[in-house]
Amino acid sequence: MSTEQRTFLQPWHRLSHSQRGTLLAYIAVFVLFIVGGIYRPSFVYPNNIGQLLLLASFVGIVAAGQTFVILIGGIDLSVPWVLNAMAVLLTTTSLGMDSRAWWVVPLVLLVGLAIGIVNGLGIVLFEIPPVVMTLGMNGVMQGLVLGLTGGFTCSACNSVAPPSVQTVITGQLLGIPAGLLVWLLIAVLAGLVLGFTTLGRRIYALGNNAVAAYLAGVNVRLVTVIVYALGGLFASIAGIALTAFGQQATLGMGDPYLFDSIAAVVIGGTSILGGRGNYWGTIAGAIFLVVLRAVLQEYNISEAGRSIATGVVILVALLLYGREAREV
Amino acid sequence: MSTTETKSDVERAQRTPADLRLHYYGAQNVPLLLSIGILVAMIMLYLILFVLAQRRLPGSFELSTTLNNTMSVGLAAVGQTLVVLTGGIDLSVGGIVDVTNSVAAQTMHDNPGSMLGITLLVLAIGAGAGLINGLLVTYGRLQPIIVTIATLAIWQGVALLVLPQQGGAIPPGFTNLLAGNIGIVPSSLVIFILLILLWQVLRRTRFLVTLYAIGNDERAARANGVPVNLAKIGAYTVGGLFSGAAGLYLAAVATSGDATSGTPLTLTSIAAVVLGGVSLFGGRGSAVGSLVGACILTLLLNVLFFAGINPQLQEFFQGLFLILAVVASTLVRRFLQSER
Repeated sequence: MSTEQRTFLQPWHRLSHSQRGTLLAYIAVFVLFIVGGIYRPSFVYPNNIGQLLLLASFVGIVAAGQTFVILIGGIDLSVPWVLNAMAVLLTTTSLGMDSRAWWVVPLVLLVGLAIGIVNGLGIVLFEIPPVVMTLGMNGVMQGLVLGLTGGFTCSACNSVAPPSVQTVITGQLLGIPAGLLVWLLIAVLAGLVLGFTTLGRRIYALGNNAVAAYLAGVNVRLVTVIVYALGGLFASIAGIALTAFGQQATLGMGDPYLFDSIAAVVIGGTSILGGRGNYWGTIAGAIFLVVLRAVLQEYNISEAGRSIATGVVILVALLLYGREAREV
Repeated sequence: MSTTETKSDVERAQRTPADLRLHYYGAQNVPLLLSIGILVAMIMLYLILFVLAQRRLPGSFELSTTLNNTMSVGLAAVGQTLVVLTGGIDLSVGGIVDVTNSVAAQTMHDNPGSMLGITLLVLAIGAGAGLINGLLVTYGRLQPIIVTIATLAIWQGVALLVLPQQGGAIPPGFTNLLAGNIGIVPSSLVIFILLILLWQVLRRTRFLVTLYAIGNDERAARANGVPVNLAKIGAYTVGGLFSGAAGLYLAAVATSGDATSGTPLTLTSIAAVVLGGVSLFGGRGSAVGSLVGACILTLLLNVLFFAGINPQLQEFFQGLFLILAVVASTLVRRFLQSER
């Protein structure tokens, strides 16, 4: 190792695995924009980039919760229908009225948080594997949405999101889509929590070695519940944002976000085993996924082809920087 | 703390060997016994509701439709079991089922040669897909959950290329063979029993014992010279083969193909495995349990139907049931541990 000290690759070798992943993901995003721009120059006009980033923000917000959960070595499969249920809750209780928005939005966020807390409690109190708990919760939320809305035939189901909420996502501020500023705020908060708070240190400690974290005095159960609560909270924020963007809630609107949120986290260099990674990488992962699909669409590749390409790209990314150490 | 420990040690020493062995058997098989208990309760509930609604006992038609509906989940769950035993998970099950289902519906013709050939082809595709998963997990040194989520996307795409629209056709002869009756016995019942017998043979083989060893402690298994990588690749490959069989069966029952029909099977196969008492942490459980779990899932739907519950609430009850079943097994295990 010491023989390589003076090569130009030295900074690269000094980076950790997950930092390399993050860096590669940002480089890949850059390359994708160039590839798209070569085919059609308007692909890289600020307007188009803004729209793509806004689409990426929905993946990024869901993936924020997923990042926290994966950092402690868990996984949240309840994302699709928690998101969908919260979107439906938003439209059916607000009925598109601005006068109701001030209490409906906090209500939706609180319910999302509560669902996440239930996930966490099931995992810590009854030792339910996270895969099973969140899978079951996904089914519960799906059934509740379908059952309570009568298969989405209720009269309130066609309500739109309150105009003020729509403005917060689709409006413009200094030429930037407002939704992007919301994402930026979330990114800064998530980055601060992970990087500069005791909670953040405890999340990494728990993900690296739960027993050691426990022995070091970390309240493992509390941190786990908080992390899953954040998963629910971010799913509900994404539900609100997505409804505001598309004006209405639809059945199955959350389905793509399970795959995308996990893929974004992993492409961004976070280890699926937990303990290593950060939200900045996830942001790159989210943008990468959305731009990749947009570029493939530019090149007239069918849905089937896009699905295959996404899978292959994830595998390549993993083989580049997601490999585990060799067993002794 | 230390006094209670010595007390339980004394108690343990006082036990007779036979008593201990029974206790050991019980403790080892609690999850399986629990899931058989749930199955029996489900069957009783189903019978009561059925008799109340129809004023007669369910006959061979009900038996064969129930088993036909169970079989594709059951086959996928057996494959999932092998992977879960190693401590892994296979999320690509749904994608493999999609592909094999599409290929079977697109290519099978109404003659015995074609039926046999396509059956073998479909099973080979399933095994090949599993092999890729296994190679990526072992020699690629990647985590199973993320490898299989990526291959899931790939196979879903491939399935859409093979069969862009619902359609294709499965010859009626093939459907009769797999989903019809042999004499008066539903063929799905025969397959079901054959699967259980197959498992009784398989679980005594060196291959399966190795999988259990890996699931319990991979490092220790490796240190003892167990060919860990080879066994894991085997688990994913045979797992894929069973997923292929599930896709074939699904096509036979539906008599046509659908490139997205397999997608729910990823999650239902995991649910069946969990309800069957197989530990997701690896090394514990059996495929018989997973088959029981698959039956429980189908019966739950039948019970909900005959109880007149809004079918839109199906997922709600399935999800709740899955969570409660795991909670119950945790509580029983804790109770037994406090007993000892």
